[in-house]
Amino acid sequence: MFEFLLDPRYYPDILQGLSLTIEITLFGVALGLLLGTLLAIGDIYGGKLVRGAIAVYVEFFRGSPLFVQLFIAVYTVPAILNMRIDHYVLAFLVFGLNSAGYQKGYIKGAMQTIFDDQMAAGLSVGMSKLQTLRYVIMPQAYRIVIPSWTNEFCSLTKSTSVLSFVGLLDLVGAGRTIIFGTMEVLPVWFIIGLIYLVWITGFSKLMDIIYEKKKIPGVELAMQS
Amino acid sequence: MTEYVMEAKNVYKSYCIKGEEKEESKLVEAVKDVSLQIRKGDIKLIFGPSGSGKSTFLRCMAMLDIPDKGEIYLGGECLTAKGVDLNRARARIGFVFQHIYLFRHLTALGNVELALRQVLKLPKAEARKRAMDALAEVKITECASKYPSQMSGGQAQRVGIARAIARNPDIILLDEPTSALDPELTGEVIDTLRDLAKEGTTMLIVSHEMPFAKEVAEEMIFYDEGHIVETGPPSLFFNAPNTDRAKQFMTRIINRTTRE
Repeated sequence: MFEFLLDPRYYPDILQGLSLTIEITLFGVALGLLLGTLLAIGDIYGGKLVRGAIAVYVEFFRGSPLFVQLFIAVYTVPAILNMRIDHYVLAFLVFGLNSAGYQKGYIKGAMQTIFDDQMAAGLSVGMSKLQTLRYVIMPQAYRIVIPSWTNEFCSLTKSTSVLSFVGLLDLVGAGRTIIFGTMEVLPVWFIIGLIYLVWITGFSKLMDIIYEKKKIPGVELAMQS
Repeated sequence: MTEYVMEAKNVYKSYCIKGEEKEESKLVEAVKDVSLQIRKGDIKLIFGPSGSGKSTFLRCMAMLDIPDKGEIYLGGECLTAKGVDLNRARARIGFVFQHIYLFRHLTALGNVELALRQVLKLPKAEARKRAMDALAEVKITECASKYPSQMSGGQAQRVGIARAIARNPDIILLDEPTSALDPELTGEVIDTLRDLAKEGTTMLIVSHEMPFAKEVAEEMIFYDEGHIVETGPPSLFFNAPNTDRAKQFMTRIINRTTRE
């Protein structure tokens, strides 16, 4: 049943699949963080038009399946731009844009728990709004958001299984290849599932450690109140 | 060049309290035609019933709330004029909040240091030295490496004062600096303010600490329903205020103080 584990021919597929899953997830969460922060700030400061546009953006990325978004990107964007774009790059962008839709909510929520008093305090010492965001609001908001990032990371990691639909070899794609070669179905998925589990558990533990290390007395109190 | 450090001219400010239903929302006229002048070294104390708009007026003075009408002057500069760099103006005003509002992710030292680094652009060593000096002035250097949540309310508020004075502002505005503290902690904050008063610091204080007011204030300002009802030296208010409203308020507050 599990003889394929001893067959070195399949190792490169598994390794390549795992590294694609990890890369797309980490890049996606990072791009999502950057865009999510901009969206959160735009939602707080923007006028009606900006806030409306952000709402449409968020509803699109949260309300439609990731694999539909990926298909749209892969089959329309290169045609519209009339250029060849690597599926890998498109997948990274889609994951980032998708994650931004979720992260905007987490970041804005965290900012709002501390915003009024900390902004007033920042302005009162002569800092600009931008300086106060940079040195006071965001450092606290990001700390509060760490547990939500862990969730976001878990969910994106598992979502990478859609990558095989557009011809990218992620872990699920690797599993398919092995099944094709061995005709073992359940054992292969079992092992693939186990790899996800180990990686996600390990990374979540790492995030917990970072959260504890970065925790500032009083900052998480603000989240509860 | 004007003789005043700060001046408010016919300032108006109202805000809307949003209710559940549209009809429940109401407009609060917190500041109605308030004018006030402060000279260098003045210590003025604003007092009056809660909800009368004292805090809103003080926030307008610091341009943390922008007045609807009227002018605020800092030195000769009109802060309510268009195109004024408010950040630069606020850097010359110290503000102490009722609920303290320290930066929660920074230590006491970090709280004082931040503006010295980012606003005054001092080099690291100099900013650190000035921040430590400010903490020493409020006698709280032992808390330098503590976070806000690790300090008592009195300690935190003294750090708040250190943060306000570290830039050597032209004036310090204090919004009920002791009223959010436990009664046994107000003493240490009052002592700090007393020290600042002795050094000739220009201050506008919203407070109900009457013994303190009697001791340091040159002028007391009775504020009710969005405007200044009566002003005068402490002796006026403690003996015989001219208006009935001030009389009633003083009777209530003095009875309360003696009962404690």
